[in-house]
Amino acid sequence: MSHNETSALEHFLAKLYVDGDARERFLAAPATEAARAGLSKEQCRALEKIDRVGLEMAARSFGHKRASKEMAATSDLSSWRRVIRAFLRVRIFGVFMRRTQ
Amino acid sequence: MKMHDRVGVGWRPELASGILANLDRIDVLEVIAEDYFDDAARLRALKTLARQAPVVVHGVSLGMASTTRVDSKRLDKMARVVNQVEPEAWSEHLSFVRAGDIDIGHLAAPPRTSDIIEATAANLLTAQAAVGSMPQMENIATLIDPPASERDEPAWLGETLACANACLLLDLHNLYANAINFGLDPGDFLARLPAERIHAVHISGGKWIGDASDRRILDDHLHDPPDPVYDLLTELAVKCPNSLTVILERDGDYPPIKHLLAQLDRARSAMARGRAANAGATPSRPSVSERCAALEAAK
Repeated sequence: MSHNETSALEHFLAKLYVDGDARERFLAAPATEAARAGLSKEQCRALEKIDRVGLEMAARSFGHKRASKEMAATSDLSSWRRVIRAFLRVRIFGVFMRRTQ
Repeated sequence: MKMHDRVGVGWRPELASGILANLDRIDVLEVIAEDYFDDAARLRALKTLARQAPVVVHGVSLGMASTTRVDSKRLDKMARVVNQVEPEAWSEHLSFVRAGDIDIGHLAAPPRTSDIIEATAANLLTAQAAVGSMPQMENIATLIDPPASERDEPAWLGETLACANACLLLDLHNLYANAINFGLDPGDFLARLPAERIHAVHISGGKWIGDASDRRILDDHLHDPPDPVYDLLTELAVKCPNSLTVILERDGDYPPIKHLLAQLDRARSAMARGRAANAGATPSRPSVSERCAALEAAK
């Protein structure tokens, strides 16, 4: 497998992971879709035997990750406020303990 | 040789209070590099944290196991974090996360081909030049056996690390999940890895997904490490010639800090058992393979 062939395969897999329509077309006709994407005969043969259950599970998992990253981006500020509060609590507790010793 | 094994946790804002109040029981903290890429104030806060506890930096977005060249802007940001914080080490994943204009959003297992091994080594050399040190590279969990692979995962990991002359950040739950999901024996998987390249370890937990006919373990970091992960840690400590730094990863459903501290204690004990066995004592627990077989039988 050449560098360019591997690169094309990576791109094809990435598309399958993120694009539900592309995944559906692929699962209906794996070799045809892989050939249409310009993959080599060897790669097309390998993709005909793809782990279908794993593909659906992985795609779902990646989708959840992308969604949770978007949610995290919106709640990021409040998280960091919690960190600053935690730092202050520990500092204040340390000062209090030193004074009471 | 006396080993100085350590345990720590992944730094998360939700755990900050509990971590800071228990630094006497936590040897090291692991921070996610990308949290500090674009915020100078946060980076200053991280420098303050690094003065209170040993810190290691963990990247999740470089996607170095790929024919795509590692992004120079992201590398520059990583270099800035590493240079400012001066962590003990930095790490990334043996994964691809984007291809062309497509961002997968998480760590994907690349086809295990010779091209990917060579491209990964090239990316790692680029990263080493930009950041000033070679990252430790973590094995990832995958729900799909990557198609068009020319070798199995243990072989691919060994060859990639050798080609790049890199160290392995061994995620034991990823190893366990992949082994169970794709029919390998976790103990055999571990035995085939280059122990001399392992200095750092991740432990975490996951859950079963899918229907009864094809269930798999999802590495979600929302659960406690299962028993076989601690057994694998013991086996690793038996054969690994290096001191180990073990990080407990938790990304949600956060339990009380006491619960996490108990898991750190359990990791310490697991390593101590392995070191004792290495020193000549007999391990008092069944092997990982025996425990996994028992768990499978009990399902």
